[in-house]
Amino acid sequence: MKEKILLKAQLPKLIEELRKIYRVLAPVKDNGFYVYKAISSADEVDLDFANTKIPPKEIFFPRSEVLFTYKRTDNGIELIEPENSVEKQVILGIRGCDAQSFLLLDKFFAYGKFDDPYFAQRRKNTLLIGLACNDPRSTCFCTSVGGSPFSEAGMDIILTDLGDKYLVKSLNVKGNELLERIPWIEDANERDIFDAMQLTKKALAAIKEELPIEKLNNTFAEVFDEDAFWLQFSQKCIGCGSCSFLCPTCHCFDVVDEESSTGGKRIRLWDTCQFPLFTLHGSGHNPRPTGRQRLRQRVMHKFNYYPKILSEIGCVGCGRCILACSVNQDIRVVFKAVQES
Amino acid sequence: MVQITDMKKKGNPYLPKLTTIEGIIRENDVNDLKTFKLVFKNPDDFKKFEYISGQFAELSFFGAGESPIGIASSPTEEGYLLFTVKRVGVVTTSLHESKEGTTVGIRGPFGNGWPIEDLIGHNLVIIGGGFAFSTLRSLTVYILANRHLFKNVTVIYGAREPAELCYKQDLAEWEKRDDLNLTLTIDRAVDGWTKKVGFIPAVTKEVAPSANNAYAIVCGPPVMIRFTIPVLTELGFSNDNILLSLENRMKCGIGKCGHCMIGEKYVCTDGPVFTQTQLQSMPKEY
Repeated sequence: MKEKILLKAQLPKLIEELRKIYRVLAPVKDNGFYVYKAISSADEVDLDFANTKIPPKEIFFPRSEVLFTYKRTDNGIELIEPENSVEKQVILGIRGCDAQSFLLLDKFFAYGKFDDPYFAQRRKNTLLIGLACNDPRSTCFCTSVGGSPFSEAGMDIILTDLGDKYLVKSLNVKGNELLERIPWIEDANERDIFDAMQLTKKALAAIKEELPIEKLNNTFAEVFDEDAFWLQFSQKCIGCGSCSFLCPTCHCFDVVDEESSTGGKRIRLWDTCQFPLFTLHGSGHNPRPTGRQRLRQRVMHKFNYYPKILSEIGCVGCGRCILACSVNQDIRVVFKAVQES
Repeated sequence: MVQITDMKKKGNPYLPKLTTIEGIIRENDVNDLKTFKLVFKNPDDFKKFEYISGQFAELSFFGAGESPIGIASSPTEEGYLLFTVKRVGVVTTSLHESKEGTTVGIRGPFGNGWPIEDLIGHNLVIIGGGFAFSTLRSLTVYILANRHLFKNVTVIYGAREPAELCYKQDLAEWEKRDDLNLTLTIDRAVDGWTKKVGFIPAVTKEVAPSANNAYAIVCGPPVMIRFTIPVLTELGFSNDNILLSLENRMKCGIGKCGHCMIGEKYVCTDGPVFTQTQLQSMPKEY
């Protein structure tokens, strides 16, 4: 399908069209930070953003989620599965890194003998309308992990901001079908496509560093037992876990029961390997008792274990962990240290 | 025999099946070890619960949560499952405080289990310490029910004191058999104990099972394992023929929650059974 042009003035009209068919999630400014939210009006949407503070993984993998509820009856216990009715939904304005993170999570939650039905159910029926990154942040390093500010992977449609309009490119059948429903959207001309190409070049040039992370895979294993190597980073880490809670690909969780007078519910919650409790045995023994081991686990999981299990790096280079860290830990510095070791 | 395949499992793996506690056996004097006999409320669920020795399940005490517990019964025992539970945390304490008739949820079976196929036709040396004997009890019962499939079977089982030895009824029966070489030991001598006294590594050295065409299957506290492996190596067991079962904190049991990871391995899905060769290539995060 030929590229289209959407004037920014027409964006509310497009969103209202989408809302007729889909639940629409889009970046909304909330308390000074951007977050993906289900919107009830086009006015709420603000596409003039770098990226959200909280990753969009919570759309499919909520930070707290009821796995089932149970009722105490005269005959014992009755289990009730939640009805996660999944409406058709669109995420508008997803960045390339986050769309890539969905592909990783898809692979992870379907890996092995057991699929995760909760993730899969929320994920299906979701259309992704991406927004290319014209201005990557100083903390972005998607190009080091196989991504790009203009990555289309995982998206159905991608928008490129051309100032007063968006270049609209459909990437597959689902995207075509959607655009066909919008008769008033006009075709782009050669000039628009040329402008978008120039922006791609500019955005790529804006990401200063490219780290050969794929080549570092084995080097990570070589420094595994070097305590001093990990200590130089873990010494300043306060173990708050923000890096993993705000990571679009971190997917570890805890499971707890919440009891009420007549029954209760079993809930899963985001968890992080950065907490000592994460590995604590009932006996009191802890396989990863030190911060150095816990920091190492997070780095190794993403850059060594993930490639071994799923043939992909478990990081999309969004830089949220760098932005969120209260002690200025920078994963890129770890890469450089690994490279130099 | 049940085969563990890589086929996708259908259904919601987070949803427990319901069972009833139909029996509680107090295993020790201190009363922090109990064996629970669980019977599925729906008999079909038992048929679908196809397991092999060495696998585990997630037991739910509703309102307290879940705990991964090794299956102590053998698939050759029809109609019920056995779990030996040590009272340690919230879930296990709730289980200990429950009476017969209480509803308990169960998810599983999970994990790889003992490699029965590999063990067939071999001499087996089963070494257990303390309450870690549960999946070894399962294996021993399985072996005795299919005795012709296996060659010589040696069982070395030790505990701190006589009262800490689990499955006393089974042990009494096994002692009478001539197709099983059973050695029981306690850490320190007590009045009335006529069997061996000494730690597992020393007793293993004394029993000196042959490594010829043999597998050693070891479960116990870390300190016991640490000192038993060198004895087995000295007896000629190769690292490929030493099998161990690991424990780690876990939540989901299906390789998703991330808690039990050791390197790129998940104890819940890649294990809990590993060979000593595998363990040597893994980080010591267990």
